[in-house]
Amino acid sequence: MSAGPSWKKIVTYSVLVLAPVLCIVLSLCLGRYPLPISAIPGVLLGKFSGGDQISEMYRTIVWDIRMPRALLGALVGGSLAVSGAAFQGLFRNPLVSSGILGVSSGAGFGAALAILLFNNMAATYPCALGFGMLAVFLSYMIGRVYKKTPAIMLVLGGVIVSSVFSALVSFTKYVADPYEQLPTIVFWLMGSLASAGYRDIQFAGIPMLLGMAGLLGIRWRINVLSMGDKEAHALGINTTWTKGFVVFCATLATAGAVCVSGVIGWVGLVIPHIGRMLVGNNNTVLIPVSISLGACFLILVDNLGRILTGSEIPLGILTALVGGPFFVYLLKKTKGGGW
Amino acid sequence: MALVQIENARFGYDGTDIFRDLSFTVSKGEIFCLLGPNGCGKTTLLDCILGTHRLREGSITINGQDISTLRSGRIAHHLAYVPQTHERTFPYTVKEIVLMGRAAYTGVFGSPSRADAELAESALETVGVQHLQNRPYTRLSGGEGQLVMIARALVQETPVIILDEPTAHLDFRNELIILEKIVELVRDTGVSIIMATHFPNHIFYFENKFIATQVALLHEGRFLDVGSPGETLTENTMEMLYGIETRIMSHSSDGIEHKQILPINTMDIKYHA
Repeated sequence: MSAGPSWKKIVTYSVLVLAPVLCIVLSLCLGRYPLPISAIPGVLLGKFSGGDQISEMYRTIVWDIRMPRALLGALVGGSLAVSGAAFQGLFRNPLVSSGILGVSSGAGFGAALAILLFNNMAATYPCALGFGMLAVFLSYMIGRVYKKTPAIMLVLGGVIVSSVFSALVSFTKYVADPYEQLPTIVFWLMGSLASAGYRDIQFAGIPMLLGMAGLLGIRWRINVLSMGDKEAHALGINTTWTKGFVVFCATLATAGAVCVSGVIGWVGLVIPHIGRMLVGNNNTVLIPVSISLGACFLILVDNLGRILTGSEIPLGILTALVGGPFFVYLLKKTKGGGW
Repeated sequence: MALVQIENARFGYDGTDIFRDLSFTVSKGEIFCLLGPNGCGKTTLLDCILGTHRLREGSITINGQDISTLRSGRIAHHLAYVPQTHERTFPYTVKEIVLMGRAAYTGVFGSPSRADAELAESALETVGVQHLQNRPYTRLSGGEGQLVMIARALVQETPVIILDEPTAHLDFRNELIILEKIVELVRDTGVSIIMATHFPNHIFYFENKFIATQVALLHEGRFLDVGSPGETLTENTMEMLYGIETRIMSHSSDGIEHKQILPINTMDIKYHA
């Protein structure tokens, strides 16, 4: 009897880790130049290093193009989904997504501004990251009435800051050069992993991994926070500190994701719900499941975006087009899991 | 020695005081009831004891420690709280809800252990709803939900439990189930209870069961009277507190006297003011 639950745990966590790995391997084969799956182990293990042209090309496709893109997709998907799950628990509201405190619109403005001023993609990352964090900081300060941070005031702060930054994005679009800068801004805002390289992973991977690790650590306390401030306090939790930590980690993860991938909606709202339908609401399980599901979902959708048509379909469009029907299907199948 | 000691408590928002000069003590195994009309400050006083609000003046000590010097994690080792209404959000299972009572004993990055899970199961058994442990708590009835909240308070293993109108919104039977459970807990575990209530008869119920009971009448921010139910709940104090005419009745069954308060009619509110 006592061996039962721990076995279940081992199996669960193996599946959670293996699923994104399988998705990554799958995405190494898919694309305009299909590779047989049998060639993948060889390329990954560094065989075929004889120097002939085919193996050299395989190596380039796998290691330099598809691998960084798949890894980045996994990081971005996991980050957006886990931040969404954490925010939903924190705000006790299932309609909240990872962008609720304005991080996406802040990052969007940062990127647009960088495109406008420097016309240089290298400047967009730090700008997007910085403005994304700034937006959340502003929302947090607006929410800090009475030296406390009631959830509803934080949401209000997020709504205000989001709309201000959206207006600023519109303004940069309005003044941008319509032949070069404007399309760049518009495409950035639609979200894409097309330019992914190891430099992106190095730059944005750190905030994403730190944010995810922090949320994984504090995940059980998110349950307690979702009881509301007064009860969480009476249960023995420092609500101000704990909320601040959750907001900080979720913001790090989301800002890291948005700054390399652009604005990808949907993942941070609906992946946590799909997780809830599959494993229930306990954040101890839901948080790791959200990371794994988000990673798988984004890798697979990105693959679709690459292979469906001759030119790439922006991710922000596909996530909703693919995710929406899938969500409805699951809703029917699980009857919503107790909602 | 008094377990909980409150001296000259004063609190308010902005310029006005909600209450002042409140002093009382609660001993081990005692039920302390707060009675008073809507909006008299019962819940605010409970919030001050829980450390949600800070007193403007006076002190609250538990086990000889001033709570204003304690972090929330430490306060939760002394006081558990059963809310009046619990807004149910996510459909956690009943067991997951009860386990949250272990937060004060769990590290910041930890989650409850197997020992905690056993504690949660035995608390559910104590309140008699062990069979519900895997049900989503959003689908419980009001009475079941309140029992689960009491179980959550029990796993906090505190010497004092604070209940804010624990029988609000419950039907006749569930109301009695909660009262019986409170009596059983005080008898079996020696826990002390601080309880806000709207029903004078609940207070007589505890006294009728021979539980050490005190009642404080909170009226316009001050205590009208503090003492045993028999001496404090009189036709006179009910008139002053609520502006109603009442009769104190007594019914004997199986050789035990059951006191009850019977409302007759409301009195002119001008006279009351």
